[in-house]
Amino acid sequence: MQPVQKSSLLFLLAVGLLAGACKKDEQNVDPTDDNEAITTATLSLTNTAVPSEVVSGTIENLNTSANVTSATLNLKANTTYNGSIMLLDKTKTPTVDATEEIREKTNEHLFVYTYAPTGTTTSALSVTITDRDSNPSPGPYPVGLTTRMQTGATAGAGSLRVVLRHQPNSKNGTETPGSSDLDTKFPVVIK
Amino acid sequence: MPIYHLFITALILVSTLPPLTVLGQATCTGVLTGRIVGQDNGQPLPGATVYLRERQTGAITDTVGTYRVTPLCPGTYTLTIEYIGYKTLTVPATVGADSLTTLATIRLVPDNHTLQEVVVTEHRSEAQKLLQVQAGLSGNALNATRGQSLGESLKTLPGLYSIQTGPSISKPVIHGLYSNRIITLNNGVRQEDQQWGTEHAPQIDPFLATRITVIKGAAGIRYGSDAIGGVILIEPAAMPTVTGLGGELNLVGATNGRQQTASGLLEQALGGPLKGLSWRVQGTLRKVGYARTPNYFLENSSYRETNYSAGLNYTRQNVGIDLFYSQFATRIGLFRGAQVGSLSDFYAAIARPEPLRQPGFSYALDRPYQDVQHDLFRLRAFVRSDRWGTLTATVARQQNVRQEYDLLSFSRSTDPELYLKLVTHTADLVWEHAPVPAKNGGRWTGSAGFSGITQGNVRRFLFLIPNFRNYGAGLFGIERYARGRWTVEGGLRYDYRWLRAYFLDEVTDRVTNKTRDWQNVMGSLGATVQLTPELALTGTFSTAWRAPNVSDLYSDGLHQSAVAYERGNPTLNPEYAYNTNLNVEYNRNRLHVDLGLYNNRINNYIYLKPDSVPIVRQRGAFPAYTYNQVLATFRGVDATIQYKLLPRLTLISKTSLLFAYDHTNNDYLVYIPPNRTDNSLRYDFIGTDASLSRRVSGLYISANVLYVARQNRAPAVSERQENGQLIFTGDFAPPPPAYTLVGAEAGMRWQVAGHPLSIILTGSNLLNRAYRDYLDRFRYFADEPARNIMLKLRMPLGQRKS
Repeated sequence: MQPVQKSSLLFLLAVGLLAGACKKDEQNVDPTDDNEAITTATLSLTNTAVPSEVVSGTIENLNTSANVTSATLNLKANTTYNGSIMLLDKTKTPTVDATEEIREKTNEHLFVYTYAPTGTTTSALSVTITDRDSNPSPGPYPVGLTTRMQTGATAGAGSLRVVLRHQPNSKNGTETPGSSDLDTKFPVVIK
Repeated sequence: MPIYHLFITALILVSTLPPLTVLGQATCTGVLTGRIVGQDNGQPLPGATVYLRERQTGAITDTVGTYRVTPLCPGTYTLTIEYIGYKTLTVPATVGADSLTTLATIRLVPDNHTLQEVVVTEHRSEAQKLLQVQAGLSGNALNATRGQSLGESLKTLPGLYSIQTGPSISKPVIHGLYSNRIITLNNGVRQEDQQWGTEHAPQIDPFLATRITVIKGAAGIRYGSDAIGGVILIEPAAMPTVTGLGGELNLVGATNGRQQTASGLLEQALGGPLKGLSWRVQGTLRKVGYARTPNYFLENSSYRETNYSAGLNYTRQNVGIDLFYSQFATRIGLFRGAQVGSLSDFYAAIARPEPLRQPGFSYALDRPYQDVQHDLFRLRAFVRSDRWGTLTATVARQQNVRQEYDLLSFSRSTDPELYLKLVTHTADLVWEHAPVPAKNGGRWTGSAGFSGITQGNVRRFLFLIPNFRNYGAGLFGIERYARGRWTVEGGLRYDYRWLRAYFLDEVTDRVTNKTRDWQNVMGSLGATVQLTPELALTGTFSTAWRAPNVSDLYSDGLHQSAVAYERGNPTLNPEYAYNTNLNVEYNRNRLHVDLGLYNNRINNYIYLKPDSVPIVRQRGAFPAYTYNQVLATFRGVDATIQYKLLPRLTLISKTSLLFAYDHTNNDYLVYIPPNRTDNSLRYDFIGTDASLSRRVSGLYISANVLYVARQNRAPAVSERQENGQLIFTGDFAPPPPAYTLVGAEAGMRWQVAGHPLSIILTGSNLLNRAYRDYLDRFRYFADEPARNIMLKLRMPLGQRKS
């Protein structure tokens, strides 16, 4: 019977040691941190005829529930704008400018802009990408950090969908390869 | 030997058939008993034959390896003991005037030449002293799976499947249940490695095991409340007892993925003043490159493993203590073609017949990948006495660090997207009482025990599951009564579980917590009866329960690889399982039939239910799922038939059928394994050794055809527009068509410098069929691997010959 008791003591001792060794690490909770969060997308359009006239729209909280209260782009009909896009990650301190990081990897990124008029209206907005990457032939291909946007003659409303495609080693100038890093819509009003 | 063996078995069976009276024996009532164990692992050998030459009678050992020959007159007898896979032993025995003579425990020595026998399934395996339906892999059957993951190796057993995430991640599935519904015991310790994730494979080095046993069905009484699906036991060989240095070297090479695996083991039992002390070190290195499907390579499907373990054991007479440490470290690449940013990407990928990018072969391993390290430290001690039985205490600490790295688009970060560190402490105390003989000739055996567990989980980066602390405690008792042809077993267990999860309110920066606890009692009852010498029937009924785990309750995050936003449900109740098993085993001459029927009814079965509104995030829309509970049943049939067409030619047929249903919604359940049947022919070159070569033994060849049906009992795939939103029910794509695969295997033992080198060559998907499997989560994107030829070499060194 004696060895049994000895063993029980040893067992209890070991349990105690192990239990005492627990740290309460789990009570310090780390905040959620996404390496590639995009919280903010800003589209700035400059009237090519009147360079002082700048229209911009900003979507906030893209990574949770998007806030589009200051996202609407109020454009003039029959006007050409120079566009540029800026993406920010405000979850980081200091804020990370994702556009800078994309500019360094233009060979694997492509912005796709698509305008769709609301309902049955016939307003139009044509978007031309003005920058190029450095992919070898058959490249270079468009990137889309800078654009030229031309509004049509008809007034109306619609939305401009912006999709950022990540196409590592597979960029071919089309939207198809790769996966989406951003897919959002700016409301547009053409007067 | 087999014929001789059969003859003796038949003789013994005939002689033990009641009632049997022979004139002139009425005055002798002596009883001879004893126990038979394997010399290699110390485990009892149930079903071994004990033959008394002088009396032309004998007995068969029962479920704990005990035999009993009666009635006997005083005198000296010659006992012949036989067991498949072991050398036949003859010992003298003297029966005195006492009514009961107990012989010393007899240890049988393994026989290398018979290891090739197809000993795959085995019921009532008493290694675990449980009367439950079991299957196991050991000996040559296990050696033939070397180089495969645990999940893949077990698929050769009926009733077992695996759920995969591409070719590199494979999780075992028992009777349709997986993840937290299965307990894996690694060297006697409950493995705790974030099993809730379907893309989290068990972090276990299969080279550690010399035997893998699977208990099919609810087996919670002995191993803990969560085991409503079953238990997998990874059992290493017992520590060496014969003085001297020994070891083993395993090498595996494969054509597909160009796998290179080396695993080595070194062990020694010390003598002289250090007698009783033994040590063992073991390690495995593995490197696998891109898997190839018939038409293309799977980019980034490579993986690496570095595992090692060390053990130190001291056993002296009736006490023993042993220390064990192991580390499993792996980096697993995920097929890059399955990486999608949003639902529209996912649909584009499903619509493509082949992945867009099809690079050539490479061992490269880049994002996306998983990096997991599992450390286990275990201390175990036992004391044994003839009067009190055996008391075993085990304490263990496990640390599992899982880091998941997603494909990065623009960030320069080197951080993972997901980091989870789970530290688990377990303590178990089991008392196995000494067998108690009953007055009527029966025998009571049993055990009782306590188990305790506490876990702490810390997460970083993205949120998928919260930080938590849990405590669990269980008390159990199992008692068995065996008499004649009957064995009856009953068990009872009580468990308490406590879970507190911690959350951060990022606005106020305050930590809040939610606490839940559960307690329950479960029980089991089983009986087995040897109806005729050929026919044995086993029936078990058991209940089990599983408390919802932290991911069921509190997960909240985008599961990028699953293209799903998963939400926990904090109000979930525990799952209750009612599991009935019926097993029929028939052995006659050249026929062996093993038929298992099961019905597992689970109340509050937890599953992910599609929500009606998708979630919109920066990358686009994702379908959302919330954990929900239904009444589900899993019923099925596992059948194994072996028939010796010719003395050397055996037909082996293994069939698994499974029918699962959700009774709450009157619908099928998702990810239920389809029906399958695997039929093989095996030719053993028994007795032709001399004509081949003196140095070659145990040569065999086999070919198999595996048919996996289409899963027609899956929820209907449908999507509809509601308020401009896409809404899903069922799955993203219908189940893939049925497929048939052809495989082959050949093996032999070759004497090289006095050591038996075991050589096994296996081939899978020999016809190079392009197919997809319903249980592979990457089936939407790519085909399964193409033809694969694997060469497995095993060389025992020094003492270790088995």
